[in-house]
Amino acid sequence: MIVEGAVLAIPRANIDTDQIIPARHLTRIDAEGMGEHLFEGLPDGAALLASRPDATILVTGENFGCGSSREHAAWALTGRGFRAVIAPSFARIFLENAYTNALVPVTLPQATVDELARAQNIAIDVEAETLRADGGPPISFALDALRKHFVLGGGFLQYLNAKIPGIRAWEAAR
Amino acid sequence: MKRSLFDKVWDAHVVEELPGGNALVFMDLVVAHEITTPPGALSIEREFGDKLYEPNRIVAMIDHVAPAKDSATALQAHTVRTWAKRQGIRFHDVGDNGICHVLVPERGYVTPGMTVCCGDSHTCTLGAFGAFALGIGTTAQAGAMLAGCLILQRPKVMRVEVTGELPFDATAKDLALTVIATIGFRGGTGYVLEYTGSAISALTMEQRMTLCNMAIEAGATTGIIASDETTAAYIAATPGAPENWMSQAADDDAEYAATVTIDARTVRPVVSWGTNPGECAPVDGCVPLDAPQASLSYMDLRPGQELRSIEIDQAFIGSCTNSRIGDLRAAAEIFRGRRVSVPTIVTPGSQAVRRQAEREGLHDIFQDAGALWTHSSCGPCLGMSMGVLAPGMRCISSSNRNFPGRMGDGGRVHLAAPAVVAASAILGRIGSVSDLLRRDEENAGAAQRELAVTA
Ligand code: SF4
Repeated sequence: MIVEGAVLAIPRANIDTDQIIPARHLTRIDAEGMGEHLFEGLPDGAALLASRPDATILVTGENFGCGSSREHAAWALTGRGFRAVIAPSFARIFLENAYTNALVPVTLPQATVDELARAQNIAIDVEAETLRADGGPPISFALDALRKHFVLGGGFLQYLNAKIPGIRAWEAAR
Repeated sequence: MKRSLFDKVWDAHVVEELPGGNALVFMDLVVAHEITTPPGALSIEREFGDKLYEPNRIVAMIDHVAPAKDSATALQAHTVRTWAKRQGIRFHDVGDNGICHVLVPERGYVTPGMTVCCGDSHTCTLGAFGAFALGIGTTAQAGAMLAGCLILQRPKVMRVEVTGELPFDATAKDLALTVIATIGFRGGTGYVLEYTGSAISALTMEQRMTLCNMAIEAGATTGIIASDETTAAYIAATPGAPENWMSQAADDDAEYAATVTIDARTVRPVVSWGTNPGECAPVDGCVPLDAPQASLSYMDLRPGQELRSIEIDQAFIGSCTNSRIGDLRAAAEIFRGRRVSVPTIVTPGSQAVRRQAEREGLHDIFQDAGALWTHSSCGPCLGMSMGVLAPGMRCISSSNRNFPGRMGDGGRVHLAAPAVVAASAILGRIGSVSDLLRRDEENAGAAQRELAVTA
């Protein structure tokens, strides 16, 4: 699977989930419509998005997605068309939510991320765990060996559903 | 190998090791609320019929916006209400509700050694009971309801040893903020914080909950504290709590991936000046000279500015960090016989806390002081319903997050303990309890001089 597209760079650390999508928009009983409110919590969020309206790859700073557990942050990104986020580090809950929503979370050292922030276009080969910026040389990264499967189309809930007999047996023997 | 407390709880719940360093971890309890649960609950029903692993291991409630503020939030609440009924899930509706992290322990749903998850990052609060409790996303929560398990990477364990005794004016909230300032706002990422030491043993269960509540604010997966007599006494006094549970503690000489030691005697009453909870300083101190420009401009502050010079527009006492009866008593101590000078909202963490406070007459003290005494809800904490800030408004708050926009677009939040919030509400600016007492003395002196002049 190749995830390719235009880059939006927001090279700031600690963009939390309240900035990705403020709580006032957490009023639905489904995951729809969140894309419209992406980055409303960033003072310059709308301008940043307007600067690359076709962006599908976000390049950002350390500790992306910290704070609230709201999966709405991942839904807002995918709802707006983003398919990957590249950062030096992610907060744990956001990282888990990214995988279950097939939003590819790429972790790379700060210096590499700084370079990627200047790229126009990035192509990510999910299976091979490599990416190329503007046709340059491949850069390797590592995905979670299990959760990669959820990005490639294996359903998270289906995976757990198949585990139920084993879980029941474990519990019975507990 | 000598194991930490966390290792023991984790090992006892691993159903299967999975690829990539993941494990299938059994969840004893799943907590559900109206904001994050509906999309997952409905998708399970759609995709898997009405199959849940064990409805008895789920407890649901309305907490964030209680009662609903509009039709959309009413639909969220009603979705959880009808789903809980359909599935035979224990449910606490508006009137009998509370913030999940306050209600779950007070109703006896959590005991030492359990695993608990909820679609809410502050689930780490329950680590105070020696449980492994963590926040997760909606889909992971749905998975835990469907299959009884989470898929997790095993976190490392950081021992946070707090030696000595807290000074009389420093609280668990001050300790929580000090821990974050010490290890850094993202210093706990990938770790569970296991709190040990004499200062931890001396904390009440409510204070331990305040401390564990903010583990997520250091990026940690959760916090955890070994159960002891304090835990046992709390559980014994909780109606509905199970009588059989096993006390667990770390092995002597357990190995930790990292250790941090904090001398409790150095903990001061603190207040945050920046835009994350690690950006805090003693109330009688100043904004650091090397404070990041982005935080300063959002908060409209200068490096070196005295924190006590900062005027506030609103005060809030509440949230899953500081809304329990002990917090309300501490605030009432300060409010008694004084008047607030800015709008002040006091929101109990649960309806049970509210009723207890009213039995003790605390609601009269708050209202005599001119504060608004509300029903239980997350309320102003998340800027979603009551008490939302306008751009540029400045609020001192006993909650846990001061992120830009957290309590309303453009609003500025200063985090502090309930007593500091109460003192500041009276002073109209950031101030400690000592500042308030000094002002009282000055006022008394001035009144006496005036009397002398008129005589
Ligand atoms: S009180 Fe605030 S932090 Fe706690 S659960 Fe509610 S919204 Fe979240």
